[in-house]
Amino acid sequence: MRIGNIVLVMVTLMTGTLLAHHSFTAEFDQNKPVKLSGKVTEMKFSNPHSWIYLDVETNGKMVNWALETGSANALIRRGWKKTDLPAGTVLLVDGWQARNGTATANVSSVTFTDGRRLFAGSSNDAAPQK
Amino acid sequence: MFSRSMKALFAFSAVAVLAPAQQIKLPRTADGKPNLQGIWQARSRAAYDLEYHAAKLGMPPGKGVVEGGTIPYQPWAAAKKIENFTNRQKADPVGQCYFPGVPRIMYMEFPFQIFQTPEHVAITFEWSQVYRLIYTNGKAAPHEGIDSWMGDSRGHWDGDTLVVEVKGQNDKTWFDMAGDFHSDALLVTERFTMLDADTIRYEATIQDPKVFTKTWKISMPLERQKNIDRILEYQCQAEVEEANGAFERDPRTWYPDPGAPPSPLGKPALMPPGGALPEVKTGANLRRNADGKPDLTGYYSANAGGANYGLEKHGRDFLTPGTRGVVIDPADGSLPYQPWARAERVNREQPYRGYDDPTAHCFVAGVPRSMYVPSPVQILQPPGYVVMLFERMSWRIIPLINGPLDGRAHIPDNVRLWQGDSVGHWEGDTLVVDTTNLNGKTWLNEVGDVVSHAEHVVEHFIPTADGKITYRATVTDPIVYTRPWTIEIPLNRGSDELLEVACHEDNGDLQHLKDVRDEYRAKQKKGNQAR
Repeated sequence: MRIGNIVLVMVTLMTGTLLAHHSFTAEFDQNKPVKLSGKVTEMKFSNPHSWIYLDVETNGKMVNWALETGSANALIRRGWKKTDLPAGTVLLVDGWQARNGTATANVSSVTFTDGRRLFAGSSNDAAPQK
Repeated sequence: MFSRSMKALFAFSAVAVLAPAQQIKLPRTADGKPNLQGIWQARSRAAYDLEYHAAKLGMPPGKGVVEGGTIPYQPWAAAKKIENFTNRQKADPVGQCYFPGVPRIMYMEFPFQIFQTPEHVAITFEWSQVYRLIYTNGKAAPHEGIDSWMGDSRGHWDGDTLVVEVKGQNDKTWFDMAGDFHSDALLVTERFTMLDADTIRYEATIQDPKVFTKTWKISMPLERQKNIDRILEYQCQAEVEEANGAFERDPRTWYPDPGAPPSPLGKPALMPPGGALPEVKTGANLRRNADGKPDLTGYYSANAGGANYGLEKHGRDFLTPGTRGVVIDPADGSLPYQPWARAERVNREQPYRGYDDPTAHCFVAGVPRSMYVPSPVQILQPPGYVVMLFERMSWRIIPLINGPLDGRAHIPDNVRLWQGDSVGHWEGDTLVVDTTNLNGKTWLNEVGDVVSHAEHVVEHFIPTADGKITYRATVTDPIVYTRPWTIEIPLNRGSDELLEVACHEDNGDLQHLKDVRDEYRAKQKKGNQAR
């Protein structure tokens, strides 16, 4: 699968390396960690942030989660293409849910079923230098 | 250089004898091309309807600009156009402040400024500070398969005509207010031909086999705007949100426009001077432009140490990254806040304040924040200017003056802008930029470092080596601080090109932040009622 070429050995947690245009701390809730697994329905390449949409079965009901990732421009500069995360791909996601309780999350890690991690964007302002 | 332009002049004179139509003397650049630099605006009613049309409410009548009179739609597309026209009040993308695309941006009723270097033609628009960066260096786009609202523009000179091919536009823009539209197969070929010093003939050939039966063309004059010496800002979405209350005035920091409540803080006190700064030496053997000044042109990223999450040093807090601390004066790295402003800064970290950061609304970051938001900037040095194009769509136009800042006044005090009014000059090899007339609406970063309309910024761009700039900004703001302060951030040149950030077009976060704020306010209200 094409994704195999894209996944980088260097694994940086997505959080904090996103091209933020707003405060994630304000939007997402530290007290609402979520663990999700499901099938990708769409990868939306957009700015200021891209979104992975994931169908997650919860208590017998299918919920489509919106997972916030890096900007399209950051992904493009990492060599990503729109078609690189096809619908149907199964992902496991750790993250934090939005404070407003909607099915929206900021992701801290995304892995494939075989354990490989998905790198989803970075910022040129990435990890601050100490 | 002088002799080259003289040669060009002689060559031109020789042709002029043979071709009477070209006897009009065109302004030319140092490399002999027609000099398009200046402020222009289309003279037509094309923005309303490309075809000959009678008036409708909000739509003045006008003569068509389509060659042959009508746009050659395929039958399904002709029906779709009528549907668009009928629904135009709600469906027009520009009515929602979305980027207009090309060619529409060229004939909207707002002025724009053209800048020209041997490798680029940049067009900066007053409307929402959109820009186009047209590469005339023969290079292909470094990233393939991307569509955007404004497309990818590559230009070349065909004799005295600038020809620009625009590819990769999405299918969401219209050609005009009347609902004329296209698909993502659109290919636009523009021709800019100077007819005299004050007129450009603008032509755009439209190819889109998914929507039209054949290629078609529009043509109109662009007129030099002689009565204005700079373009201002019309930030479409910000104006909408201020008018409908979605973005609220803070009387402490915003400029007190007529009719607005006065500042509760009273008049600011005079400030003592800032501290002495450590000297940074400009580089030896810098690459230089024809005028002898350092060549700063290029694509830059800031090594900002997380300045967009705080100018002072702090550790990580949940999803807010830790920061290096970029304040070099005061020497202890802390900002010299007045007590009210420090309290405001702390309050802005509350989740319910996240909605108040203008960049969460996709508004312009202001000065100096535009220089250290985590997205790149392209610097251009056309004759007489330094121009900065920010990937998060906005620009700064910095006219250069000779000598220190004594002669040229800034624009009138009551005219307030997101990016302010800047003038620049060279002190040796250092570019110094003086910026006033800021609007006080911006935050300095996501944690909410405070600045007001009293902000006066002096920036130093110190080239320490080719492609390396030490950037310093000294901010004097007597409403917020007790003394001036200075930040220092390295800017590094890279080899990439800017992409487009269409922000509010795809802003999925603002509603979440608004929900958090609204919930807080509802609780406050309930609490007050219970008391």
